[in-house]
Amino acid sequence: MTATTKTAKTGVARRAANPKASDAAKRENRTGWAFMAPFGILFALVFILPIIWAIYSSFFRQVTTGGGAYGGGELVNKFVGFQNFQYVVTSGAFWAGVGRVVLYTVVQVPVMIIAALALAMLIDSYIVKHITAFRLSYFLPYAIPGVVASIIWVYLYNGQISPIVKGLAAIGIKVNFFGDNVVLGSMANITTWTFTGYNMLIFLAALQAIPHDLYEAARIDGANGFQIAMKIKLPNVRAAALLAMLLSIVGTIQLFNEPQVMSISDPSISKSYTPMMMALNTSQGTLTPGGDGPASAVAIVMALIAGVLAVVYTLVERKVNAE
Amino acid sequence: MVSHNKRLVAALAAVAAMGMGLAGCGSDTANTGDSSSDGGKVTITYMHRLPDSEGMTLVNDIVAKWNKEHPDIQVKATKFDGKASEMIKKLETDVKSGEAPDLAQVGYAELPEVFTKGLLQDVTQYAEQYKNDFASGPYSLVQVNGKAYGLPQDTGPLVYFYNKAEFEKLGITEVPQSQSEFIEAAKKAAAAGKYIMSYQPDEAGNMISGLAGASGGWYKVKGDSWVVNTETDGSKAVADFYQQLLDAKAATTNPRWDPSFDASIKDGQLIGTVAAAWEAPLFMTSSGGTGSGEWQVAQLGDWFDNAGKTGPDGGSAVAVLKNSKHPKEAMEFLDWFNTQVPDLVSQGLVPAATTEDAKTPSEWSTFFGGQDIMKEFKTANNNMGDFTYMPGFSAVAAKMNETAAKATDGSGKVADIFSDAQTTSVDTLKNLGLSVSE
Amino acid sequence: MSTVEAIDKESRAAARARKKADKIRDKHANDLPRSMQPSALVKTITIVVLVFALIYFLFPIYWAIIASTKTPSQMTGSNGLWFAVGLSDLPAAIAKNYGTLIGWTRGQFWRWVLNSLIYSGVSALVGTLVAVMAGYATAKFNFKGKNLAIGVIMGCMLMPAALLTIPQYSIFHAMHLTNTMLSIIIPCCVSPFGFFLGRVYAQTSVPNELLEAARIDGASEARIFFTIVLRILAPAMVTIFLFLFVATWNNFLLPLMMVSSDTLKPVTLGLYGMVSLATFTDRGALMMGALLGVLPVIVLFLGLQRYWQAGLAAGAVKG
Repeated sequence: MTATTKTAKTGVARRAANPKASDAAKRENRTGWAFMAPFGILFALVFILPIIWAIYSSFFRQVTTGGGAYGGGELVNKFVGFQNFQYVVTSGAFWAGVGRVVLYTVVQVPVMIIAALALAMLIDSYIVKHITAFRLSYFLPYAIPGVVASIIWVYLYNGQISPIVKGLAAIGIKVNFFGDNVVLGSMANITTWTFTGYNMLIFLAALQAIPHDLYEAARIDGANGFQIAMKIKLPNVRAAALLAMLLSIVGTIQLFNEPQVMSISDPSISKSYTPMMMALNTSQGTLTPGGDGPASAVAIVMALIAGVLAVVYTLVERKVNAE
Repeated sequence: MVSHNKRLVAALAAVAAMGMGLAGCGSDTANTGDSSSDGGKVTITYMHRLPDSEGMTLVNDIVAKWNKEHPDIQVKATKFDGKASEMIKKLETDVKSGEAPDLAQVGYAELPEVFTKGLLQDVTQYAEQYKNDFASGPYSLVQVNGKAYGLPQDTGPLVYFYNKAEFEKLGITEVPQSQSEFIEAAKKAAAAGKYIMSYQPDEAGNMISGLAGASGGWYKVKGDSWVVNTETDGSKAVADFYQQLLDAKAATTNPRWDPSFDASIKDGQLIGTVAAAWEAPLFMTSSGGTGSGEWQVAQLGDWFDNAGKTGPDGGSAVAVLKNSKHPKEAMEFLDWFNTQVPDLVSQGLVPAATTEDAKTPSEWSTFFGGQDIMKEFKTANNNMGDFTYMPGFSAVAAKMNETAAKATDGSGKVADIFSDAQTTSVDTLKNLGLSVSE
Repeated sequence: MSTVEAIDKESRAAARARKKADKIRDKHANDLPRSMQPSALVKTITIVVLVFALIYFLFPIYWAIIASTKTPSQMTGSNGLWFAVGLSDLPAAIAKNYGTLIGWTRGQFWRWVLNSLIYSGVSALVGTLVAVMAGYATAKFNFKGKNLAIGVIMGCMLMPAALLTIPQYSIFHAMHLTNTMLSIIIPCCVSPFGFFLGRVYAQTSVPNELLEAARIDGASEARIFFTIVLRILAPAMVTIFLFLFVATWNNFLLPLMMVSSDTLKPVTLGLYGMVSLATFTDRGALMMGALLGVLPVIVLFLGLQRYWQAGLAAGAVKG
């Protein structure tokens, strides 16, 4: 995060004081925007306009007109002010969903990041040879689409089919992966399985970028492998850890595939299990009030919560850095 | 300065050109949604979500037959690869942007909802002439306020599937006809590790509403407003029936679409259950041959205060969508398509058409002990209680499933399904801006 | 152009040196100085942990491979750890499920895999380029509204992208692009996360002095970017490419809304189509579809291994 908060000082900017400055600044302005333009145009098309639409529509609800028991066969947009937002923030289901996501973020994400870091460290320790096979195998689940990964695991959780459950039962351990307190953990396991390898690669990359002379120096000082890992490697992968965290948290906010697929086997997983599920199901009308208005409100409130958390995280992070 | 801008522009142009090329790739198949007429020739588009799998007569092949005989009305069918709720959402956006297909598959339970969302076109004037080609029950389910919006395709009357040989082994010689007899038999079977009923939480919205609906509807229209009562005597009987079975652990609780349900048929644990007619071929594949030739289809007993009646579970119509410019031609094709009985049977459907008797495919009758099960389904079809759905029923069904799941582990009661259905129904109608009299 | 050549030479030399060092380290892993020599216990524990992790990651895939040869009833009724039929009957079992898969996908399976490759490949390529350009712009230039742009883009990372599908549909319809390949490619090639990575990489690995030197040499900004900056960032871009590629490959909600023609569907949507039909029970065939669909990705990753591993190393964010 430190990298993003620093503003780049360019050579051109440093010349700001001399008479040609305005010319140079103009040129820099133009060049900057020229490089920015392709992404900017696409971004406006794919994000900005739709988000404006979402914000706009969050103030409306689609209702019938024309009276009659079925309405007039047409839905109209009715301006409802902040009613959709009021619905979202007073909805117990929404906050339960937010709670699950937060729990996921504080438990699953750290577990996955630590596991990924540990694996990366072991692979980078050169204690074991032929690491390529390990590295690739760990990464393989990332290539499996989320829906399919969830289906595979649903089988492996199923009491009547799973060789895992049956195997554990045979040695006297009874597990119910769909139990009330277990189901979120089962879900977290699917996410962990899919993304640990990817995060591990991020760490591995960071580890391999550490200059080798640092190790040499440590060795001359008589440090052992473990000390090198803790004193040299760990501090050097901090940025990579933050990157992996950020990516995982963004992914968690959008948690959808795993609960959606698991609800086939556990129908008590509601349509509003996570905010993302709630938003999509609201949009499709399997929750009431339905439609794009309330669905947008769900998404916007969730994004705001995530934004606040991100700011808090950054502030804490900065403070920890300063100390 | 100039040169670098030029190059940048050139690079961007290259990217853009690549994009154009790709747009070109797709454009030949683009705009399938537009129905167009070209010198008397009409193109009709039809979106479905039929299984369309191996061994079936593919929708495209059926359509090809029509196209060959009708050069002036060419039909293009596309399959939607998603859930019913997702398809409705897609149609909603399509209709808004004027790019919707002419015809689309819509479940009976969702038809009022789709009407309310403004996706349908009144085709009563064309539908009348085809009325006699279809059973009257399903035909009326394609109507809203007495106006027709399409034609029925298949139906899903609830029936009872059971393994006769296993029943006899347990000393149950006949399918019990009263609630108390059934529960007694279920307990007897459970003592022997067998189950003659399944409680399917993920199908509660479809099946349990249908079972309760056998004895009378939940949703009535009085004047211009809705009278909702999901806690009818029928509902209470259903709740009572399943609660007793659950309490006695005399029913399986595997969700219907979880692989564990298949496993319970395969390992011979589940030997009887209420099922929709269209589940017959699914049972055959799930069983892997277990009990083949021993299974039978029976009408529902009087287990739910239903006086010999049954209820609907699933089934679809094909509706004419709002933007269609050729409703007459679309209906002409639709009547033909929905009366292609053997082809529809091959898709695993129980057709709503009465133009010819659906023949039970030979594999089906082998599995079901030589029984002509299509005939049983027809009987059930004609014996269906009067159950209509309200707009927004999908939200009610979703809530029912969730509540139903809580009854399996004792954290809730079966009766909660119906009280939750009541509140969700009323909320949904109000949220749609419809009036409810309480 | 001396600068460019110098960089080129330098980076090649660096790569060579790194490779050499790695080789030496690999070779001498066992004769490290005494203090570095892992004890037998450490070695054993490491191997146990790595193998345990290997089982964890590969077991579900192994299970899926086994499952892909089974019929629906064998799926529930046979040993999950081994094939349901004898090895001699295996080809027939595979052929049967393959037939089922092709049937369920209406003969379009390989077409859909190809579509997926096109969507993922083009989106990732274009997406990486534009992300790096924008990242470079914000890292190395001061322009009006820069901080606002960065803030907005980063903020959008928090917006659930799947929910924007509906308005995106309306916009693309207005441009007459729905039901075309572009309606999938364009949304998939915009990634705020890609931008973020591009920016961080440009900040950390493109030295200002180098840009200055090139400017003094008289190189245009475009030339500097395409010949110098891209070259420096090329390995790092692999990370963005990989991320975008997989994200596009996995996306099925967008194509579900955007395209209706069978010939335009990506393979993940086809698989989702099977799953979303409640009556679908041929899960063995589904597993086969999932594995066959992933195969091209794995082949691609293996084939490009050298590049993306080097890329990930180069793209690593320095602390």
